[in-house]
Amino acid sequence: MKCEEIGELLPDYLQGSLKAEQDNLVEEHMEQCADCREEVVIWKKLSLLPVEQPSKESRERFEAMLQAYQTGRSDKASAGLEREKRGSVWNWLRSPVGAVAWSAALLVIGVFAGVNAGNYFGNKPVHSKTSQDEIAAMHTELTNMKQMVVLSMLQQQSASERLQGVTYSRREDQLDPQVMSALVHTLRYDGSVDVRLAALDALSRHGAQPQVHKGVVDALQEQQSPLVQVALIDLMLEWRDPDAAQRLRSFVQTPNLNPTVKQRADWALSKLN
Amino acid sequence: MKEQERAETENDQAMKLAPDEDLMLEVRNGAGETLGVLFDRYHSPLYNFYSKLTGDRTLSEDLVQEVFLRILKYRQSYQPGTPFRAWIYQIARNARVDHYRKTPRHITFEPEMVPPVMPKDTAQKSEEVELLHRALMQMPEEKREILVLSRFQELKYDEIARLLGCELGTVKTRIHRAIQELRQNFKQLERGLAPREARPAVVKTIPPRRFGNEM
Repeated sequence: MKCEEIGELLPDYLQGSLKAEQDNLVEEHMEQCADCREEVVIWKKLSLLPVEQPSKESRERFEAMLQAYQTGRSDKASAGLEREKRGSVWNWLRSPVGAVAWSAALLVIGVFAGVNAGNYFGNKPVHSKTSQDEIAAMHTELTNMKQMVVLSMLQQQSASERLQGVTYSRREDQLDPQVMSALVHTLRYDGSVDVRLAALDALSRHGAQPQVHKGVVDALQEQQSPLVQVALIDLMLEWRDPDAAQRLRSFVQTPNLNPTVKQRADWALSKLN
Repeated sequence: MKEQERAETENDQAMKLAPDEDLMLEVRNGAGETLGVLFDRYHSPLYNFYSKLTGDRTLSEDLVQEVFLRILKYRQSYQPGTPFRAWIYQIARNARVDHYRKTPRHITFEPEMVPPVMPKDTAQKSEEVELLHRALMQMPEEKREILVLSRFQELKYDEIARLLGCELGTVKTRIHRAIQELRQNFKQLERGLAPREARPAVVKTIPPRRFGNEM
C-alpha cells in the first residue's frame, strides 16, 4: 500500500476507530515506512505537552461575573428598565474612567459656579489672580487624579484593562515620574505583548526624558518577543540614540536571535552608519 | 435544619453527576448558579484550548471568562437536546475570532512564545517538549487549531466537522496534513535549522512602526 492511502487511514488509526483488518494494514506499512511511522510518533509525542492550569483567580473572576450578572437581572425584574439603566450609569461612575469623568464634571460645575457667583456679586473681577490660582490648583489636582487612575489600571489582572490604562496615559502631555516608571516597568515585564507594545508606543512620545530614554533602550536586551524587539529597534533608530549603534552591534550577537529580528537590527545598523 | 442540609448535599451530588445538557437547561431556565458546575468542568479544557492556540496565558484567561459571560447572555439560544460540548466550543471559537477582530495582531509573526510549564523531568525530555511546542506554534493557526481540537480537547472527528462546518473527510485530510507539517517543523528544529515559516523575506513587508499616532 502507498503512503497516500495509509495517510487517509491514519487519522482513524490514531483514534483507534479502524477495523482490525485495516488496522493491520497500517501497522504492516509502518514497519517498512519510516516517514509514516514518524507521523504516528509525533502525534503520540504531543501528549508530552503539559496540561496547563488556569490561575486560581480565574474561579473568583467567574464568581464575580456571575454575581454581577445575577444582580443586574434581579434589579431588572424588580424595578424595570429604568432601574437597570441607573445601575449601569452607577457602575460606570464607579469604574476608574467614570470616576475621573465624574470628578472632572464636578470640577467644571464648581469652577463655573464660582466664576459666575463672583460676577454676580461684583466683588471680584473674573480673572483675578486668586481665581486663576485656584483654577490652576484644581487643574493640577485633576491631573494627579488621572495619573492615579493610570497607575491603578496598570496593576489590573486583565490584559485589556492594563491596555486601557496605557492608552489612557497617552491623553496627558506631561507624565508624572511615577507613571513613567510604571510604564517602563510595564514595557519590561508585562505578560502580554499587546500591552508591552502599547506601553512602548506611549513612552515613545517622552523620549526627551532621560529616565524614559534609558528605560526604553535598556529594555531591548531583555525582551523575548520578536514584535517588541522590532518595535524597540525602530524606536532607537528614530530617536537617533547616541549609543544605538553600539547597543545594536552587541544585540545582534545574541545567540538564537530570531532571524527576522536580526535582519531588522542589521538594517537599522546600516541606517545609523 | 439537618434534614435541609442533607437534602442540599444530595442535591449538590446529583448536580455534579448530571449531564452537561441537563445543567445547561437549568441555566437556560434561569438558574444561573448552576453554571458554576459547568465552569468547573470546562474552564480548564477551554483554557488549554486557548493557551495552546495562542500561546498567551493572560489572553486565554480573558477569553475563558468571555465564553462564560456569553453563555449567560445567550443562554436562550441553547437548543435543548443538542450536545453542550459542541455549543460551548462554537462559542469559544467565536470569542477568539471576535477578539482578533477588535484587536488585530500587528504583524503575522509567530505569536509570543510562552514556554510551557515544564514538569520536573530529565533535561532531554524537557528539550523535546520545548521543540515540540515551538514546532506547534510555527504552524498556521487553522492547522494548529485542528490538532489542538483533536489531540488535546479530544473531540471526535465528526464533532470537529460540525464545529468547523466541513465534511468528515475534509477533517481527516486536514488532520493528516497538519501532522505532516508538525513533523517537518519538528525535524527541522531538531536539526537546528530555521523552518520554512521563519521567512526572512517578511522583513521587507513590515513598515517601520510610526510612533506618536493613535494605536
